[in-house]
Amino acid sequence: MSISGLIAVPVGAPLVAAAVALVSRRRSLSGWSGIAASLAVLAAGIAIAARVGSGHVVADAHLLRADAAAAVMVIVIGAVGALATFAGVGYLDAELADGATTPAAARQYEVLVQVFLAAMSLAVLADNLGVVWVAVEATTIATAFLVGHRRTRQSLEATWKYVVICSLGITLAFFGVVILYFASIHAGASPTSALDLDVLASRASHLDPAVTRLAVGLMLVGFGTKAGLVPFHTWLADAHSQAPAPVSALMSGVLLSVAFSVVLRVRALADSALGPGFARDWLLVTGLATLLVAVSLLVAQRDLKRLLAYSSLEQMGLIAVAAAAGTRLAIAGLLLVVTAHGVVKAVLFISAGELQHVHGSSSIADLTGIAARSPLLGAAIGAGLLGLVGLPPFALFGGELAIARGMADAHLAPALGVALVLLVVGYASIVNHGAAMLLGPARAGSPAIVVSRPVAVPVVLGVAVLVVLGVVGGPYPHLLETAATVLGAR
Amino acid sequence: MSAHTYATLVDLAAGTLLLSAVLVVWRRDLQATARLLAVQGAALGAIPILSGVRRGDVQLVVVGVAVVTLRAVVFPKLIAVRLRGELAHEREGAPLVNTTASLLVTATLVIVAYALSRPLVRLDASSAARAAPVGYALVLIGVFLLVTRRKALSQVVAFLVLDNGIDAVAFLATLGVPVVVELGASLDVLLAVVILGVLTGRMHAKFGGTDLDELRELRE
Amino acid sequence: MTGAGVAGAAVQVVAVAAGSPLLVGWMRQVRARLEGRIGSGVLQPYRDLRKLARKQSIVPEGTTVVFATAPAFIAATMLVVAAIVPTVTVASPMDGVGDLFVVVGLLLIATVALILAALDTGTPFGGMGASRETTIAALVEPAILVAVFALSIRANSSNLAAIVTATAHRPGDVLTPAGALAFAALVVVVAAETGRLPIDNPATHLELTMVHEAMVLEYSGPRLALVEWGASMRLAVLVGLLANLYLPIGVAGAHAGAAGLVVGVGAIAAKTALLAGALAAGEVFVAKVRLFRVPELLAGSFLLGLLAVTAAYFLAPRGA
Repeated sequence: MSISGLIAVPVGAPLVAAAVALVSRRRSLSGWSGIAASLAVLAAGIAIAARVGSGHVVADAHLLRADAAAAVMVIVIGAVGALATFAGVGYLDAELADGATTPAAARQYEVLVQVFLAAMSLAVLADNLGVVWVAVEATTIATAFLVGHRRTRQSLEATWKYVVICSLGITLAFFGVVILYFASIHAGASPTSALDLDVLASRASHLDPAVTRLAVGLMLVGFGTKAGLVPFHTWLADAHSQAPAPVSALMSGVLLSVAFSVVLRVRALADSALGPGFARDWLLVTGLATLLVAVSLLVAQRDLKRLLAYSSLEQMGLIAVAAAAGTRLAIAGLLLVVTAHGVVKAVLFISAGELQHVHGSSSIADLTGIAARSPLLGAAIGAGLLGLVGLPPFALFGGELAIARGMADAHLAPALGVALVLLVVGYASIVNHGAAMLLGPARAGSPAIVVSRPVAVPVVLGVAVLVVLGVVGGPYPHLLETAATVLGAR
Repeated sequence: MSAHTYATLVDLAAGTLLLSAVLVVWRRDLQATARLLAVQGAALGAIPILSGVRRGDVQLVVVGVAVVTLRAVVFPKLIAVRLRGELAHEREGAPLVNTTASLLVTATLVIVAYALSRPLVRLDASSAARAAPVGYALVLIGVFLLVTRRKALSQVVAFLVLDNGIDAVAFLATLGVPVVVELGASLDVLLAVVILGVLTGRMHAKFGGTDLDELRELRE
Repeated sequence: MTGAGVAGAAVQVVAVAAGSPLLVGWMRQVRARLEGRIGSGVLQPYRDLRKLARKQSIVPEGTTVVFATAPAFIAATMLVVAAIVPTVTVASPMDGVGDLFVVVGLLLIATVALILAALDTGTPFGGMGASRETTIAALVEPAILVAVFALSIRANSSNLAAIVTATAHRPGDVLTPAGALAFAALVVVVAAETGRLPIDNPATHLELTMVHEAMVLEYSGPRLALVEWGASMRLAVLVGLLANLYLPIGVAGAHAGAAGLVVGVGAIAAKTALLAGALAAGEVFVAKVRLFRVPELLAGSFLLGLLAVTAAYFLAPRGA
């Protein structure tokens, strides 16, 4: 397959699946085409990784460009997308059987999920910062009605907050892009290519510092909003807890990371144009603040899905702190955490969705004795939670270790200490709540849990991938290190 | 078009932008603010049209006409349609900050905007770029309105003011961003406004009103 | 200090003193005609003043010299302002003190004198009117200063005559955004300073809606005539100043002859009549703003003036 065709697959395949879902009458066809599209994205990601693993960059003539970092993100999108679309089929079947949704709404769901995946792929593969921005805003638009899919008062409130806060943030990011365009033109770039990522990278030293500082600040805040960083984090718990479980898996697992990958690109640009201090200070402060907010809201949490959402917020705080360090080890570890977190959040959210469906509520107090009633689900959630808190042999352990070493190399030991303390408190809360849910006898009268195939398959596969990633070395860590170099690690 | 005429007309457009933003803060009535948005959109679109006519750049003129159509016609119409239907009785009640204080805060924000945009003006001293602080002021005013208004549609208006400000900076400082980006951005904003409009309708159906204070059920 | 200047100043004082009741009558007549009434004729204020001058003056018990002397003080201050403000000529010998701040200060002195006189009466309506007038005056001061300051930036001087002269040399300067914003701010300021709609209704009979009228409730006879005359002079001076700041056609210079002075008087009379007629017509369409919303209106006027200042600094067109 030619290069330009290969790069177009991650964007094109989901769009084709969306078109199929739009016109097809048979749900099985649209369901399977959606899963096939995500697997195609994953396969394309692996193929691209094979070509760019040694540091090359592949590009097509106009719009798309793939380097090692983009390949990593495409792999994450494909993997989590496959898990989520598989579970999504079962989710929609269950909802239609319960009469909680209509066929038209189900079709809208499928179309929007595929458009969402295509937009995320475009955001990581576009070579023009303006097009990246358009793609990130498109993800907000695609997910707006997904968050509000269930038409309850609470989901409406969550949707409103999500759309308003994310649009505000992303509009500020657009302001930053406009100002950067201004600076780029004055540094001598031609108007049509002034926002191309490689043009910006090559002219970074000529950009006017004061104007670039304005632009970078706005972009960090703006794209950080979509990544859930303080101070615009208030939409995250509401949106992720009110959305349908497979959508929450996608948003928590991938969307936050895709937004953060854009922050990483901005960070690389800031480092070459302004020196390392500016982005590092901001990322450190906001990362630690996000960690603090997330952990304080994890401790007394009473709702399972909000617990998972705040744990995602915690991970994003850790990732921001790691990005502040900026060494190769830190950024490679960050990318490994991104991959592992995506998979584990998908597993956990899909399981949580199943539990919510069975019990009619996602409150932790209602969900007791899970392991006693369903060994499969109990084991999966247990493994997922252990993986989430960074225990070996799951992959998050390796990632967090690398981040810790990377931060020590970057002389950020005090910040590392604070972050570790906060992380430990957060993890303890998660384990505490998890144990309350999983262990112990089932309460009398709780419904039996029958795990359907669309839930069981992704969940088991996800845990397996997590173990494999954590144990096996090989090409993936090498890809991560190349990606770190591409992203301007020192 | 002579340089002096061009500069005067661009200044007039920039002044109209700023004045319409101030009047949006002042007037609490939603229908009046929708009309003010139309005026603002027209003033915004006039800037690329003037630049295009001066340079003989047809693409810029086309972009300007598209901006006018979108921001002076389509957006106010979308809001007015929402207002005419079930929400006909909705006015902005007492906003979180009373009008006098809002006006004084707006004055401070305008000054802050001029201070913040000094690096931009220093880099490019053309007459159009010197009016770029007006766009900055619109952005700050839009953020302020977004935070202090209580009705759902008022937040939509605030968001549009914010977006008009960013486009104003783009057109004044750099004669616009690449067409692809401008198109994508306009499409995104249009879809966002449509989504917010639909959500407002659903909110009215579910909550019996669009007062954002009603959205209080989701807590930690 | 030229002969033409001295003559011009004298003509200004006489014109304002004699012509201000005519201006009030003209505004009332325009309103009446627009409201479908016949009106009492443009000379009615003169008849009112003559009637009041012949009536007995009643002084409430317990008032002091403040109450007794305030009307004369107000009228005298207004005559001084009439000599300073560039209406007929820009070369008045009092030009040395013809600064914006001085004029605003003089107008404020007259306001404060009336406020103190109202408080001196010890009646509740006097106190009420005084407190309302204080609120409005406190808020109008920054607004008027900022608005005229915006116009003064172009002329590089805060001397009113210098501003008018600069505009006379370059008429296009007031068509800028700064000029337009300042004009909007100044219209609101003039309405507030002279106690006209939408801030105060000069024709109201209901004490609870009064601001200026409540302060003069206890005056009668010649003192009331002085107060009314002072108020009409304030109106004439402010409207004339506003007209000249934006349209300084026909203003007599430092070396104008008698013909120049006549032209100046005619020009200012015509411009004032035009602007006052427009203001009166506008008043037909607005209602009085509720008192707690007056600070809003004045804050808005202040904001418009501030925007005019920033526009004047930053949106200056290149070239001419």
